[in-house]
Amino acid sequence: MPTDTWGSTTTQAARYSGASVLALTMGDDSGLAGTPRVADLDLYRLPGFDLSRVCGLLLGAHLDQIFLRRHQGLLDEFISRGGRLAICGQVVLPFAAGLTPFVPLAYRNVDDLTVRRVGEHPVWHGVDPHDLTFRRGVAGFYGRGYYPALPPDALVVHGLGPNAYPLDAIYPHGAGEVLLHGGNDIWGYAGDTTSAARMTPQLLDWIMAEHGGAKR
Amino acid sequence: MSRTRIGLLHGGASYHLTTLADPVVAGYQPCPLYLPDLDEAAGRARLDELDVLIVCDRLHPQLVRRHGQALLGVARRGATLVVLGEVEAHTWLPGVDWTPRPTNFWWWRTGDDPGIQVHTPEHPIWHHLDTKDVVWHYHGLLHPPPGVTPLASVDEEGATAGLILYEDRVSTPGRILVTTMDPVHHHGSNFMPAATRLLHNLLRWVSVAD
Repeated sequence: MPTDTWGSTTTQAARYSGASVLALTMGDDSGLAGTPRVADLDLYRLPGFDLSRVCGLLLGAHLDQIFLRRHQGLLDEFISRGGRLAICGQVVLPFAAGLTPFVPLAYRNVDDLTVRRVGEHPVWHGVDPHDLTFRRGVAGFYGRGYYPALPPDALVVHGLGPNAYPLDAIYPHGAGEVLLHGGNDIWGYAGDTTSAARMTPQLLDWIMAEHGGAKR
Repeated sequence: MSRTRIGLLHGGASYHLTTLADPVVAGYQPCPLYLPDLDEAAGRARLDELDVLIVCDRLHPQLVRRHGQALLGVARRGATLVVLGEVEAHTWLPGVDWTPRPTNFWWWRTGDDPGIQVHTPEHPIWHHLDTKDVVWHYHGLLHPPPGVTPLASVDEEGATAGLILYEDRVSTPGRILVTTMDPVHHHGSNFMPAATRLLHNLLRWVSVAD
């Protein structure tokens, strides 16, 4: 795997010191640069990276799932020991405990793409589902499919369409938890002018909450 | 006539995998090539077996760049190289510049004219693509070397600001088709019928190589 372009060890140490949440990237950036205690990490550098002080990983919609699947053991161990994983996008190759494939929705109209709240979770407190259904008047950015086979102890927060097909869910694994969102990256809404922008800080708060994040 | 051997270079993202599993795409029996496998000689050797290599959109730009010469080698031996958007092609294709533009996902709703003009109507690609297939959003503008065939451009203030689709038969003995559109991402993410048509029709065109 890549070894030649990742910068000096000194730079890395400075960048990652104090980072509690890592956003995994594919040569792009997560848009979270400058957020306290969040750092981007190229996906291909994950193996061998010291995660002992990291409490959460953000896995976005563009990640290489073949590579993630090859490193499922690393991810499962991270969750088991209390880490939190936020996974956005469409899981095709399940790469962590409890994941099953995403199913695209054969949508016909806006009603099919309407986001319905069916459970409560702090990541979405104060977020109006209408602001998730529509972005600049267009439906579908937030989700166009669902996860039909979630673990039995999953808390479903949002469903899609009249049948409320599960779109957002949280489930435990070992001492940690997985937050699954079947659409565009939650942190991509950070700059929106609607209540959808609340998701990003609330997601980071949730990841850090059980790890003494507020005390450090 | 023997079947056109098409390779799809992908990066393992959900939309790459979903596109490979699409029955219409699978009908062309493409050879899936996983980008990190090009780090191995055996992976690069598979490029030699292809008539057409399609570099899928949205690949890790550092990895693509590292293998840029191997990818160009496909066109240098006379075969076809198709380069889709968001792979920083200007950093590894010779003589190509790129300028960013804000991506307008909403033009069809706001009534904005994306300013896309189709060129070279006699080109055989238009036997397979409908001009509507290339009128959606794009990711920046290309400024290719002289002598290429423009197929779609963006006009700003009445003048061509850059290309979003062109064919280059002058830089190598083969042909290089380049675009700044990302049809695999949008097709594989279940989002945009025009992206699906562009991808399917591109495949049809390259499979009948003229």
